[in-house]
Amino acid sequence: MTKRTIVAALALAGIFVALYLLLYKIGVVGNLSCSIGSCETVNTSKWAVFLGAPVAGWGVGFYVSLFVVALVSIQDRYADSLAMSKILALITGIGFVFSAWLTSLELFVIHAICQWCVISAIIVTVTFVVSLMDLSARRDGAIERSSD
Amino acid sequence: MAANSKDRRQNVVRSASSRPKGTYIALIVVAVVGASLLAYAATRKPEAGAIAPTPITVDPATAGPPQGYLNGKPDAPVKIVEFADFECPACGRFATITEPDVQKRLIDTGLANLTYYDFPLPQHRNSQPASNAAACADDEGKFWPMHDQLFGHQDEWNTEATDDPKPFFMKYASSIGLNTAKFESCYNARTHQKRIEANFAEGERRKVNSTPTFYIGDVAYRTALSYDELKAIVDSAAKK
Repeated sequence: MTKRTIVAALALAGIFVALYLLLYKIGVVGNLSCSIGSCETVNTSKWAVFLGAPVAGWGVGFYVSLFVVALVSIQDRYADSLAMSKILALITGIGFVFSAWLTSLELFVIHAICQWCVISAIIVTVTFVVSLMDLSARRDGAIERSSD
Repeated sequence: MAANSKDRRQNVVRSASSRPKGTYIALIVVAVVGASLLAYAATRKPEAGAIAPTPITVDPATAGPPQGYLNGKPDAPVKIVEFADFECPACGRFATITEPDVQKRLIDTGLANLTYYDFPLPQHRNSQPASNAAACADDEGKFWPMHDQLFGHQDEWNTEATDDPKPFFMKYASSIGLNTAKFESCYNARTHQKRIEANFAEGERRKVNSTPTFYIGDVAYRTALSYDELKAIVDSAAKK
């Protein structure tokens, strides 16, 4: 499994996490399954809306974009593309910064943690790290092929 | 030329064979697992073993008369009625962000009064105990200070934060200067349970289905109104 495949798989998982939070936000899911922290406090705070749209909605958009780009990047045509590695690193980097900001709000402003937000933050962080590794490998001239 | 063409064909074959089939299988697995978990989460019912919320089931015909908590002059020209749940985040935002303005500019000036009615939603397990605590505070004329404490500290006593909100309510009782022994006795005995149920029944009679719901005159506003919205409504009602 290539690094880009890992990014695609994590982005796909992220879509479901963000979608779950979005469905709660718009009232489709009545209660969040939240064994750790205070998901409701976080997701009903004023910080759960960014530029007029639910943060979870931005999350869905982010993960869908990342998934599409990662999926394109694993096609043979782009498998060796340095530009694709840069785009992936850029997208995940933006996600990482945004996610770090949201996590800091949870810790220092809202004083509540939402486990699903933490899971999303971990996914974003891992995709960012893997994308940087992918970029570094391309710059070094390494060509990664799937083993299957 | 023919040899070049053959090489190219071999390259194409090699490329196709290197296409990562396992990648798509992995993605499909993630998609199926994710969609299944999402569908489960969206449709799941509370577990039998979980601490079940205790919804109020009251027959409006037999419930006692509702008895809200008045804030302001009884004869104020505009009467705002609020049905709220102490654990509801939107009610908390209204109480902590909007209500100070409402207090200062509409209630203290005599333009309007506001009457609070309990409407503890069944999914909020600690909301009824909170209504109970507020009613006990009312025995010493301190419903509104307790109201402010409850909404101001929602994050520490809500259903997700604790299974036992009483120590928090005791702390608030002490901080607003209640007789804590009397308060605790009232709280433990659920002295005002009937009042809470009657207020809830009044909400049901009015078809309240979300909190906060406001009534100004005959009009229901099923959202946490901003100060500006409330001011405009009060101004309009005062002219009638």
